[in-house]
Amino acid sequence: MATPRTITLSVNGTTHQVTVEPRTTLVDLLRGDLGLTGTHVGCEHGVCGACTILWNGKAVRSCIMLAVQADGSEVTTVESMAQDGELHPIQQAFMEAHGLQCGFCTPGFLMSISELLTRSPDPTDEEIKDTLGGQICRCTGYQSIFTAVRLAIKKLADARAAGGSA
Amino acid sequence: MAIDDRPGITIPNRIEDLPTSQARFIGRTVDRVEDPMLLTGRAEFIDNLSFPGMLHCAILRSPHAHARVVSIDIAEASRAPGVLAVLTGEDCQRWSQPTPTVPEGWGTYCLATDKVRFVGEPVVAIAATNRYLAEDALELITVEYEELPPIVDATKAADANAPLVFEDKGSNVMLQRVFTWGDVDGAFAAAAHVFTETFRWHRLGANPIETFGVISQWDPIENALTCHGSFQSQYHMALARSIVLGLPSNKVRLMSQPHGGSFGGKGGARGTDITALLSRKIGGRPVKWIEDRMEYLAGGSSQSWDRHYEASLALDANGTVTGFKVKLLDDLGATAEGWGAVSAAKPLAAFTGCYAIPVAQYDLTIVATNKLPGSPYRGMGPPPHNFVLESLMDIAARELGIDPADLRRRNYIPKDQFPYTIASGNEYDSGDYDLALDTVLEMSDYQKLRAEQAAARAEGRLLGIGLVNTIEPGVFDWNAYAIVGQPGTGVPEGATVSIDVFGKINVKVGFSLEGQGQYTVLTQVLADYFGVELTDVRVVPCDTLSAPPHFGPGGSRLGVSITGAALGAADLLRQKLIKVAAGLLQTEPANVELMDGKLQITGVPGAEIPLAQVAGAMIARSDLLPPGVDPNAEATYAWTATGRTPADDQGRAKSYLTAANACHVVLVEVDRETGHVEILKYFIADDCGTRLNPANVEGMTQGGVAQGVGAALLEEYCYNEDGQLLTSTFMDYLLPSVYEVPMTEKKALVTPSPFTPLGAKGVGEGAMHTTPAAILCAINDAVAHLGVRATAVPASPHRLWTLLQDAKPGG
Repeated sequence: MATPRTITLSVNGTTHQVTVEPRTTLVDLLRGDLGLTGTHVGCEHGVCGACTILWNGKAVRSCIMLAVQADGSEVTTVESMAQDGELHPIQQAFMEAHGLQCGFCTPGFLMSISELLTRSPDPTDEEIKDTLGGQICRCTGYQSIFTAVRLAIKKLADARAAGGSA
Repeated sequence: MAIDDRPGITIPNRIEDLPTSQARFIGRTVDRVEDPMLLTGRAEFIDNLSFPGMLHCAILRSPHAHARVVSIDIAEASRAPGVLAVLTGEDCQRWSQPTPTVPEGWGTYCLATDKVRFVGEPVVAIAATNRYLAEDALELITVEYEELPPIVDATKAADANAPLVFEDKGSNVMLQRVFTWGDVDGAFAAAAHVFTETFRWHRLGANPIETFGVISQWDPIENALTCHGSFQSQYHMALARSIVLGLPSNKVRLMSQPHGGSFGGKGGARGTDITALLSRKIGGRPVKWIEDRMEYLAGGSSQSWDRHYEASLALDANGTVTGFKVKLLDDLGATAEGWGAVSAAKPLAAFTGCYAIPVAQYDLTIVATNKLPGSPYRGMGPPPHNFVLESLMDIAARELGIDPADLRRRNYIPKDQFPYTIASGNEYDSGDYDLALDTVLEMSDYQKLRAEQAAARAEGRLLGIGLVNTIEPGVFDWNAYAIVGQPGTGVPEGATVSIDVFGKINVKVGFSLEGQGQYTVLTQVLADYFGVELTDVRVVPCDTLSAPPHFGPGGSRLGVSITGAALGAADLLRQKLIKVAAGLLQTEPANVELMDGKLQITGVPGAEIPLAQVAGAMIARSDLLPPGVDPNAEATYAWTATGRTPADDQGRAKSYLTAANACHVVLVEVDRETGHVEILKYFIADDCGTRLNPANVEGMTQGGVAQGVGAALLEEYCYNEDGQLLTSTFMDYLLPSVYEVPMTEKKALVTPSPFTPLGAKGVGEGAMHTTPAAILCAINDAVAHLGVRATAVPASPHRLWTLLQDAKPGG
């Protein structure tokens, strides 16, 4: 067992200093030490995308990333999305478009889509597909997720037009 | 109109008959009550739970398909950092029994004792202070094996010299019987045409994105067990644990947590037993085990339907199908623990599909091999069966020069023949198969698709059209599985509905979230019944000791069953409320009715009391209660389908209550150079009776298409000749992504069931019943002129490419 390391990272805007074994995965740090259980583990080998989080704004698989790699970085998880008891527009769109069933893969989808729509607020169908292609959902067959993304784009655009910050 | 479920209970058969002038929620798409907690990551999936003192389990698994366990050395592992307990087969022999199975007697202990029977079988389990340390310690265990020759090929499992999975059985044949319904020999002898083909459906399975997980805590003083887990059916899991662990049934308390999908393949019996015994061994500390994906793929409830078919269809000179024979060799794997044998029985519920085929035969053999025990999966057996039946219909159509749509239409059960009893004994409640066919032909512009196909072929491209319609048996009953040894008739599902002093409604049930939206359906039904808002109803999941009788989701049943339970309980409560209201309104109960959330005197405007006030009086004003009314605004009702019959000696029973049907049309293109199949267009006309929540139905239909695409083209568990699993990660076992799943065009048809609450039919598995057959039929439609025929699922690129190498020159 290697010597534990002390790392500092910001998660959803809060700075944490934690001591972890070098082999600890980022998702285990988030779910275990930090109690942020909204990020889920589906395959632990980087295929399904359920554990997707934002690392310095980029969508990454937190199951195949080590916690020590996140030292000094900014991490964003699904817990950051809803504010003051209100769902984020992307979450609201998922609900309205029936973009989820069991909901286990959903946090990963939300984070991926959130990255896409930050990077590309008005994406093409191909861009959307490219993003969804990195996530596996076993329930929905993706059609309603696609609809949810289109709805989210509209909601975010409306919010921007109204001068909102979402 | 009402279905007479029981004397004194009225359960409406139509939404219009609810005690509301206008239903606001049921039958409509509403925001799901489940969604906010799921979207924010707050749902209590099992791995989110943690208890004080909790330990973590890791499991050492067999690297061999078949081997004798000579010795196990756990000394070093026991001393490893963080390790508190090590469990072996010896502990299991001391403290437990082999797991009960169907067919009976093909189970083992939760850890290997004398030998291992499949790669991935649990051998030793460790409880440590965290999972990392538990897994470290596994590496310090030494197991000495004496390898035995494995039996991997099911077609050789019954050979006299085959290695035996269970020596004491003297054979690998778990079950062998021929079921004959009518004069099958006569029908085939008299047939103008007989078409016979062999088919292969390779192993695939559920793969919910959340694997199984459990936290077990043994109480050494009370000798009792409490488990939280991602149990699909907590009650049946609890009963079996009571038997296996030797505990009185009321000392076993299981609580199903919200879980990330199941599709029949959640499993969890071994993990629950292992963690329970580990907790027992360390004096009662809670022990958590979360199955990892590789454990799931190799050793979980991940694999289903490893089948070899030979089937024949008899037709007369007019293209009327006069007989259907199916010979199935079903490779169930090493044990019958996974309840997978039931999947060989379920096809009886819709053996002859949408067709009026008068006689049929099922020659069924189930064998054991040294592979992972088979489990249920969405559809529970009909998906492969429908692939066989529908492929034969297409073969017949092609050979006889009849359009596949026309041949099907000639053989449909006419809509005026319902309820209709099929040859294998089940009764279909209602349907209009011509309507489904006409609808999908119009949606797809079928003739135009044919023209498109012809034009493409002229360019040398291989386009094919699949047109398939199937029955989705809904509202399962145990009697459907009698032929493989499953006892019982009736599957009660209960609800306890109560109204508090403020008029808020609680409903207690025995199942948790799994994805199908049943909490929402339950909320919709009760909100309309009592005239309240959706937010006034709360669904409360209860554990096995506090819930009313329950099974939970499965067998396309819960939407109908829980609606029946809610409406039965609501009716009992309504009757109580009317008595109380009659007292308050100083009239006879016969003059009082519930309507739009008020108790009112019929025909006297303004003579009414709000629901909350009546419920409040029941609870807080005993002085106002009429004699014989208890101070409890609560009622419990357990619903089960009436009129179910026990199976006869040929397995025939009135089993599944409803028969939904769907007709799919798919256009595919087969790449001649690579064998790759692309789905170009997909159309669905789907009739599941009254839609309690249209978005729920549409979502499950699309999800079923996705799993059907996986089955037809991608998913396969491959074992080599040594019984080693070659597809042990998602890099090898391929799940469909957004790139493979077609965006489908769907149309809802509504032929209500005359027998069910609100006329709804069981739904959720239908597309999985249909899509694999539709895609395979489309592939064959694309390549038939080349003189080749795809008869194996999945039709992976390599398999199709190999087939196309035999294509007729110049085809």
